[in-house]
Amino acid sequence: MARILCIWFPDWPLRRPDTPTGRPIQVVDASGTVIALSADARALGARVGMRRRQAEALAPTAVTLMSDPGAEAVAFEPVARAVEDLVPRMEMAAPGLVYLPTAGAVGYYGSEDALVGKMVAAVEAVAPGGRFGLADGPFAARMAAERAGDAPLIVADTAAFLAGIDVAALGVEELVDTFRWLGIGTLGDLAGLPREAVASRFGSIGLEAHRIASGEDRVVHPRQIHDEVVVEDTFDPPLDDFERAAFAARALAGRLLEAVAPSGAMPHRVEVEAEAASGVIRARTWRSSHPFSEVELAERVRWQLRAWVESGGVPGGVVRLRLVPADLSDRGRQLRLDEDAASELDAWRALSRAQGLVGPDAVLQAVPQGGRDPGERVLWHRWGEEPGIVSLDPSSPWPGRLPEPSPALVPPRPRPFEVEWDGGFPTRVRLGSRWEPVLGWAGPWRQTGRWWEGEAAADRYQVVTSAGAFLCEVRDGRCWLVGVYD
Amino acid sequence: MPLDRASLLSGALSAPSPDPVAPFTIAAEPGRVLGLVGPPGSGLTRLALGLLAGFSRTGMVAVVDVRGWLCPVAAWEVGIAPDRLVVVRCPERAAWLRVSAALIEGFPAVYAEVPSGVSDADLRRLGALSRARRSALVLRPLGGDLPGGVAHLRVEADAVVWSGVDRGHGALVQRRLTLRVSGKGAQGIPRTIEIVDEGFPVSPPALDLAVHAVG
Repeated sequence: MARILCIWFPDWPLRRPDTPTGRPIQVVDASGTVIALSADARALGARVGMRRRQAEALAPTAVTLMSDPGAEAVAFEPVARAVEDLVPRMEMAAPGLVYLPTAGAVGYYGSEDALVGKMVAAVEAVAPGGRFGLADGPFAARMAAERAGDAPLIVADTAAFLAGIDVAALGVEELVDTFRWLGIGTLGDLAGLPREAVASRFGSIGLEAHRIASGEDRVVHPRQIHDEVVVEDTFDPPLDDFERAAFAARALAGRLLEAVAPSGAMPHRVEVEAEAASGVIRARTWRSSHPFSEVELAERVRWQLRAWVESGGVPGGVVRLRLVPADLSDRGRQLRLDEDAASELDAWRALSRAQGLVGPDAVLQAVPQGGRDPGERVLWHRWGEEPGIVSLDPSSPWPGRLPEPSPALVPPRPRPFEVEWDGGFPTRVRLGSRWEPVLGWAGPWRQTGRWWEGEAAADRYQVVTSAGAFLCEVRDGRCWLVGVYD
Repeated sequence: MPLDRASLLSGALSAPSPDPVAPFTIAAEPGRVLGLVGPPGSGLTRLALGLLAGFSRTGMVAVVDVRGWLCPVAAWEVGIAPDRLVVVRCPERAAWLRVSAALIEGFPAVYAEVPSGVSDADLRRLGALSRARRSALVLRPLGGDLPGGVAHLRVEADAVVWSGVDRGHGALVQRRLTLRVSGKGAQGIPRTIEIVDEGFPVSPPALDLAVHAVG
């Protein structure tokens, strides 16, 4: 689990330059919900999350401002740059809320304490009042930042930290009500339940809630993203006014989501990269706990462009804009006309039933990993659980890898395979009770194996008969079947 | 003889033409059972995975793996995304029927190896369930054949010819499957067709196969 530092500014929308002073203030979003309050408005009884009318009734003297995330992003830009000066891999979730993976930075600065200390000093110099929380995964880091107070909160044992937090923190109202009805009041109560039982009763939403309560992050489905999925546009004359920026952002966001949609995936993270007319290149990553919709992504790109343009970050305007998706998942994507929302639930129910019949170890999914043999290139995991750590990088070169097509059938362990040889060439193979003449073969392909661990070398052959093609290996003078091209 | 290009996968394109000389299309269709008959090595597992690939673009697909030998790499090569494929290993005949029925109820497409000894009546019940649930079911008996009337389209492997290897040189590149098709899906006219599978590496959305009637 990645250690994440969360920097959160409560009531950041109040820090816009047009915010009046000396009066209670409340900021409401487009749906009419209060999202930020000044201290004196809070003292009058208004609360974040109230409807506008209710808050105005409690604090009639308060000035109500409409949320303007673009202006908030502009105001946040100096903070973002101060953070990036220390840790370049920053991810924006919203103006006033950023996440930083700390693995590399901790190695550079020496310790988590040192990193957080430097970050606090750098951010406070630009914008005081931030909260700092460091824990495993973004959810726990956000929880830590909310509970940090003036001093940063570094959580060592994330599961224990989360255990005492109310289930309402999950933010899924209907699920939380059911949990309470079942007597599950805290994340610790939820984490204490068997994961299979939660998955069986609540499906994918329950499973994700259980993961979060256990201090784990959302499961990322790594998918290969082809270069052409990265979308970019060039602008001549350079993009230097807000109207054109908004139009460009919308068009590019639409193109990006169209490009990833055929693979059934949506991005949780997108890097926005802009090249200025002066040659300066700026990049910023935006993340979301749920996959970006086209409107949401366009908004983020627009806010970011406005922040760069108005803060002078792209001298001369933007001449090239590029969006790079990352962290794809198949959840939250827009359903196609031939899909229906119930089908996923049907599949979950069917698999839960199958698990009950054959056990969880027999209901499997697999993720690709690196390796030379087809069997080695598969990392199995139980359905409903997260895959193990991919220790063999699939994107690395694997010299000697078996060429495609791969055998469709691979026995769990090599099986004895009778082959007749003549002068070192295979001539016949035994299939059941009959012998089949070899019509052609490829090999031997020498595989040295892990000789330092005592593994013997083997010679591999693709053998073709009139009954099909087989992959076999000769090891220690014996021939073994390792794959069937069925 | 010119080869007619045809899609193996799409339900929309799957209705066989009533014209017996028109190109023939093998397809897994919602609510229909497709039977694949042939010994290991005859190329039917990859064919079955190719039939599921079209369904995996819009939902999850399931495989009932009786032998425990299925290699997902082949499925990924024909265009099934890793997170859309679930493999249920079920070597026990006693549980096989209930597992298969559960998957048919929840998945748009299921490929099930059939262990020896499953009764004809049970296979007919599964076929009826797939019709009722509009699930595409591909059955591959591991011993013997399917009872008559279960499969809407019965595909029997006749021969497989691989090319690309010589006496020690090269590597497997292309296969040519000769298949005998029969059943209602073939308008009751048994015929022999040939499939040239050269889609390596295969990328989504489809595994395109060349199909032409040879008899």
